[in-house]
Amino acid sequence: MNAPATSFDAVTVTILPPVARFNLRIAPSDLAAASQAFGLSLPTKIGQGEQNADRGAYCIGPDEWLLHAAEADQQAIVAAFDEVRANTPHSLVVISDRELTIGITGPAAAELLSVACPLDLSRIPVGGAKRTVFDYAQVTLIRDGEDAFRLEVWRSYFPHVHGLLEVATRELALGL
Amino acid sequence: MTTYRVNGRGRVNTGKPVTFTFDSQTYQGFEGDTVASALLANGVHLMGRSFKYHRPRGVVTASSEEPNALIGTTRAGEGRFEPNTRATMQEIYPGLTAESQNKWPSLKFDLGAINDRLYMLFSAGFYYKTFMWPRSFWDSVYEPIIRKAAGLGKAPTHVDPDIYASRYLHCDVLIIGSGPSGIAAALAAGRAGSKVVLVDENSEMGGTLLSEPSVSIDGQPAWEWLEGAMAELDRLPNVTRMTRTTAIGYYHQNMIGLVQKLTDHIADVPDGAPRERMWRLRAKEVVLAQGAIERPMVFDGNDVPGVMMAGAAQTFLNRFGVLVGREPVVLTSHDSAWYTAFDMADAGAKVVAIVDTRNEVAQALKDEAQKRGIKTHLGYTATGTKGRLRVKALRVNPVSNGKAGDATHLSCDAVLVCGGWTPSLHLFSHTKGSLDWDPEAKVYLPGHKTEDVHIAGAGRGLWGIAAALEDGAKAGAEAIGSLGGKADVVAFEVTADRTGTGITQKELPTDRSAGKAKAFVDFQNDVTAKDIRLAVREGMRSIEHVKRYTTNGMATDQGKLSNMNGLTIASDALGKEAPQVGLTTFRPPYTPTTFGAFAGYHKGAHFEVTRKTPIDSWAEEHGAEFEPVALWRRAWYFPQAGEDMHKAVARECKSTRESLGIFDASTLGKIEVSGPDATEFMNRMYTNPWTKLGVGRARYGLLLGEDGFIRDDGVIGRMRDDLFHVTTTTGGAPRVLNMMEDYLQTEWPDLKVWLTSTTEEWATIALNGPNARKLLEQFVEGADISAEAFPHMSVVECTVAGFPSRLFRISFTGELGFEINVPARHGKALWEKLWEAGQQYDICPYGTETMHVLRAEKGFIIVGQDTDGTVTPQDAGIGWAIGKKKPDFVGKRSLDRPDIVAPGRKQLIGLLTEDPKTVLIEGAQIVDDPKQPKPMKMIGHVTSSYWSESLGRSIAMAVVEGGFDRMEQTLYVPDANGTPIPAKVTGTVFYDPAGDRLKVE
Repeated sequence: MNAPATSFDAVTVTILPPVARFNLRIAPSDLAAASQAFGLSLPTKIGQGEQNADRGAYCIGPDEWLLHAAEADQQAIVAAFDEVRANTPHSLVVISDRELTIGITGPAAAELLSVACPLDLSRIPVGGAKRTVFDYAQVTLIRDGEDAFRLEVWRSYFPHVHGLLEVATRELALGL
Repeated sequence: MTTYRVNGRGRVNTGKPVTFTFDSQTYQGFEGDTVASALLANGVHLMGRSFKYHRPRGVVTASSEEPNALIGTTRAGEGRFEPNTRATMQEIYPGLTAESQNKWPSLKFDLGAINDRLYMLFSAGFYYKTFMWPRSFWDSVYEPIIRKAAGLGKAPTHVDPDIYASRYLHCDVLIIGSGPSGIAAALAAGRAGSKVVLVDENSEMGGTLLSEPSVSIDGQPAWEWLEGAMAELDRLPNVTRMTRTTAIGYYHQNMIGLVQKLTDHIADVPDGAPRERMWRLRAKEVVLAQGAIERPMVFDGNDVPGVMMAGAAQTFLNRFGVLVGREPVVLTSHDSAWYTAFDMADAGAKVVAIVDTRNEVAQALKDEAQKRGIKTHLGYTATGTKGRLRVKALRVNPVSNGKAGDATHLSCDAVLVCGGWTPSLHLFSHTKGSLDWDPEAKVYLPGHKTEDVHIAGAGRGLWGIAAALEDGAKAGAEAIGSLGGKADVVAFEVTADRTGTGITQKELPTDRSAGKAKAFVDFQNDVTAKDIRLAVREGMRSIEHVKRYTTNGMATDQGKLSNMNGLTIASDALGKEAPQVGLTTFRPPYTPTTFGAFAGYHKGAHFEVTRKTPIDSWAEEHGAEFEPVALWRRAWYFPQAGEDMHKAVARECKSTRESLGIFDASTLGKIEVSGPDATEFMNRMYTNPWTKLGVGRARYGLLLGEDGFIRDDGVIGRMRDDLFHVTTTTGGAPRVLNMMEDYLQTEWPDLKVWLTSTTEEWATIALNGPNARKLLEQFVEGADISAEAFPHMSVVECTVAGFPSRLFRISFTGELGFEINVPARHGKALWEKLWEAGQQYDICPYGTETMHVLRAEKGFIIVGQDTDGTVTPQDAGIGWAIGKKKPDFVGKRSLDRPDIVAPGRKQLIGLLTEDPKTVLIEGAQIVDDPKQPKPMKMIGHVTSSYWSESLGRSIAMAVVEGGFDRMEQTLYVPDANGTPIPAKVTGTVFYDPAGDRLKVE
């Protein structure tokens, strides 16, 4: 169940349920092995994403990927990468609890994010992701649609980020 | 009441009268009026008193550069008073309360005006000269009086109750200024399909066009054309128009700060509405279309209310439908003011005369004047005014060979002045673009550009609406061209354009004593021409020095009116061309900006990030006091009823040492160091050797900088051959990760190792005390944590209370200790389970203060408290943490530097006071002989000092010169009153030096 936090017609801010989340670091030349272990062809360009059912992979650095999967699959994915490690060095770190995810949807979603995110959001393609900041917090922004974003933020920064989103949602609702 | 409103003129909504008060008197204006235009419509020119001489002052301009008409405004609701609001920018709304400033007891009779009579005393630099002697008077007499007299307006006394918003914005072309050139640029760029933002500080767009309705563009009267242009821009989905929006600063790479006023013009502000919004806009191309600012003329009495800029009078007439006087005199050196005279005459004013300092003007102008019966005086100067609260006459003289002849007085109720026009280059100057001096026009024009910026219209010295439109369209097209696009050429057919030329000048020649002339250059700061000449006589050579000596240009208008006149006079006094004297630097913000706009959302709960651990809410529910540690708030101690900090901490220490304490260590930084070269990387980063550390074992790690000084420390566990679980200090986590990444990416890119922050993945609970294992072992599955199987400095993966865990056996207290890491979401649940089961051992939650005491009793250092960035491992007494056989590690080479191995360095030692009850003050300086003459030689300072409940006495650590060789010496540390307290030097391990307490079976 998603818990709606704040919403008005043009934008809804929701705290999303947890997922299995991983930070993958691997040499780009070894990417095929990781794609095979994860069961999804990992994107090769920073900012790109690839999705299939509940698996998602987002390239957020020259040798860095953010991986998402169903919570129940966490151990299996760790085990699959364990198999690969002997021949293909990499680092797979579980970060399921490090971040919390906020869903931001609606026609004013990008406008709401522009309150504290300095990126030109129009340049994030649908399906892509960017590591950026929201006010003082480092966040990862995933774009699921023209009007749909997920914002992942470290747990202790969540109250600050979520609180600002609430303030800004009220501001947008006033239309001033 | 007399009204100066002209029927059929202006753009205000005469169908909507608006009442407001100024100095408690009620006035009526119309929707669309500013405070200034509404007061002028009521015949009020006197709006304030000047800063230094308290001279009566009236409105001078119709725009944001206004130096005189600064008022206090009060919006509805407590705490909404604002000083120094510009009456020319503040729109009126029903219920607005405004007041004049800098007057006592009243605006019309001000006792402070005594300064004006004493003006000979208050010359340039008088603060520096007058208040130097006697020196002792400064603190008690001069400074308090100056402080009381200083400032303009009253500072607000309430906390600002308003909300301020922020937004980022990106566009292709930002156009600043919506006069003819700005609009033309917007049309050119907008029609080409680019994302365009057009901003203007006024409440409506149009700029000069609002003041020049008689011009015709493309066969339409100016205002019809303007309406059509606005409608077209609004129809373009790629164009955004923003009014009441000031571009305050031009920053690197086309980042422009915009402040948009949202509610200051509204009577009924919606609840929760922001007052202003700061836009941080990144534009690919910027077009500056800011126009030019009219220059005052410098002559005796030029500041009397009723003397104002001719262009402003034209704006008040045409935009607001207000005659600023019925019998004005125009005093000018530019053609533009002639048109003001014509417009005033056509609107029913009896224009007394046009006085022009030039000997020749175009015949067409003279014909137009004659047609209206306006007398003209060419080649004249102005040498004085009559009237104190309102101008009554202008004294003029013919000039021949630079000498003023016999004076005549022209009776009038307004003097409309134009001393030429200054291109507005403030924002361009923010970019550090160079300015070129145009010796013909005697103005600075934009020169070399450092940003992707285009300057259009009067901002680069052009004149006339046709020229501005053409130039704006060109700038818009150029911007599109720079973006790789192509804009259609936009051309405009302009008729009845008011082109013209003019000159600028120093202070006007006079037949009277120039030394007694109150010929103002800077109205707001009361700087006169003679002040500037005095500054030059007293040795100021650069305009930057003249500015600071006289305060010319240092008022809230930042010299928009005074800079060029000041420079002209200073360069004349120096006998140099203006560029050799310089130009003062323009700095952001362009106009006064509220602190609120800069602060944005950062107030109250969002002032700064407050990071909280997953267990924080438990601590809050159990009455913890908190302390900030980096961005975190951490439980400091848990007082019970009637306990102060001292008692609570004594109890927490005792309980932990005697039975069991529980501590939230979640804030410790955690880094996953993973990869086949992880061991090599650790060997290079940390001082310690890691090769032989077995899987499942942990070690204290010490991190140095390249300089050999301690940077961070923490316990590091080996999870696999190729995986380390590194912990850092709470505050050091981001720094350490950055430092590691830096070395990895720049020095050792060949190493196959990767770093991931896991600080927030894990919640960390520390259990310490002789009963720690008894409590923990009932929850652990998948591991044997007996003393034999799981010795001190071990780590194991297992489950604790069913939660997957990385369990360490380590101790920062000297007691048997464990640190349990579980996924963060389970942190509080695990804490509560341990808390409940721990009741049988009287489990005691403790905070950071007890943690500090317990570690100090064991002599464990805290990086940043016992070290200060100049302490080596040897200085701190932990040289054992250096891997002696390692070929290298960060900082190794520095440890052999001569000054690092020299004797007499400050070293960390223990201090025990002779009186065991006395607790030293942390940070206190240390001497070896309190009887030596002052200034005494300080040999170190106290770094940590506590009451130790376990030892029943005080303990302290200190860094002291040659400390290791001073064992048993008595040193002296002052108490709060400066009384020296004797203390004996010892080692730093005060409690259980043999470490027996770790060995609990």
